[in-house]
This record gives sequence, C-alpha cells and structure tokens, in this order.
Amino acid sequence: MSVAGWIFLASAAVALSGALLAVGLRNIFHNILGFALAMLGVAGIFASLGSDFLAAVFVLVYVGAVAIAMVYAVMLSHPLDQPHRPRNRGKILAAAVVSAGVAMTLWRVLQQAQWPALVPGGDNGAALTGTRFLTDYVLAFELVSVLLLVAMMGAIMVARRARPGRGTW
Amino acid sequence: MNLPLVLGVATALFGIGLYGLLQRRSLVAMLIALELMLASISINVVALTTLTGQDPSMGQVVVLIFVGVAAAEVAIALSLFVAIHRAAHDIDVEHLSELKG
Repeated sequence: MSVAGWIFLASAAVALSGALLAVGLRNIFHNILGFALAMLGVAGIFASLGSDFLAAVFVLVYVGAVAIAMVYAVMLSHPLDQPHRPRNRGKILAAAVVSAGVAMTLWRVLQQAQWPALVPGGDNGAALTGTRFLTDYVLAFELVSVLLLVAMMGAIMVARRARPGRGTW
Repeated sequence: MNLPLVLGVATALFGIGLYGLLQRRSLVAMLIALELMLASISINVVALTTLTGQDPSMGQVVVLIFVGVAAAEVAIALSLFVAIHRAAHDIDVEHLSELKG
C-alpha cells in the first residue's frame, strides 16, 4: 500500500475514535476534545486525498476556532460535579437502532453502486481553487461572505443582554 | 486509494454523528454531533471529486463553502444557546418543552 494509503488508514482511525469520544463520553469538555481529535483525523483524510489546503482549513477553522468557541458554551451545560440526571434507556436504544439502520442502509447502497472508472488526477492545488473561487464561483464566494457577516451580527444581537429601559434594540 | 473505503469511513462518521444527535440531551453536544455529520459529507465530496478525476478543485470550492456556512451556523447556534440559557437556565432539550402541545 502506498504512503497515502497508510496515512488515510491512520487518519480514519483517529477520526472515528475521536468521533466516538465526542459522542460517547458524558463530560461535555471531553466531548469537545474528542471533536477536535475527530477534526484532526478528517484533516488527515483530506491530506491523504491530496487536498492539502482543505486539511489546513479544517485544522484552522474546526480545531482552532469552533472547538474554542464550544469551550465557552461548556459553562452553560449541566454542572460537571453534580450527579447525572437519570437517562431513559429506551431513548438511547432507539437512537442506536435508528443511526445503525441509516448507516447500514448507506453501506448497502455503497456496496451495490456502480462507481465511475477510477482515474485519480486533476489539479487540486490551492492556486487553482483560489482562482476558481474568484472567477467561476465568485457569486457563491460573495454570498458566503455576506452570510458570515449577517450571522456574526445576528449572533451578537441574539446573545446580547437587553438593557433595561432601552427596548429590545 | 479505494473509493468505497473512503466513502465507508465517511458513512461510519455520519452514523456516529446521527447517534449523537439523537441520543445526547445537551444542545452543545448535539451541535458537536451535527458538525461530525457535516464533516463526513465534506469527506464524501472531496473523495468523489478527487478519486474519480472529475474536477478536484470544484470539490474543494464546495467544501470551503460548507465550512463557511458551518462557521455561521456554529456562531448563531452558540449565541442562541446563551440566550436560551439566560431565559430557561438550562440547555437540556428534555427540559425545553414549554411549547410542547
């Protein structure tokens, strides 16, 4: 197996174990650490597929920014030193059955699908991606930038504490 | 690289994320699970464009747009959690049942 193949297998193992930690542990802080690990694994998968730029973006955005933002939300969750509230076992079982069913269905579809001829190749460098972003896909690029601006302003407005006597705005 | 293997890993990640979304009670944990599902879709897009030689740079453009939308989603979601916590003093979905019929 090629070097990229081994990197892919190692990254996939990191991503899946990180995802299991992010979902399975009860401590919300451990969940966020597991999420960061899973995103590192996903970045490794992108690197093994030849998309170095996406790997860097995932490390920067998810491991760097999103995980840190989530840490701030930890203070909102159930206090860690208090005993856990009892769970409804039926709901956990139902969640496991539904997600396993969906995953198995998708897996069956994958097994039966006819994939096009595998001819890996083509330019996936950051230079071409950036050029296409500002030529062919410039409308999508601008829309995403406006969406980010509106979302940040909306986030500030939603999270802001309304001052007494000054109305909502 | 084996295309069905990559897609299988993405499917497993999607299943884990779906399980977390359905099973967890904290809104933050549900957001984490949602982001895992989004990452698995990104893996699919990159694998299908790179390994079939269709147009790798277009796959990267699509995934970068995903990342931008996901970042906006996280910002809105976390600020909503802060607002909900201020109003209800809890972000446990089983307690946020005021509008339940």
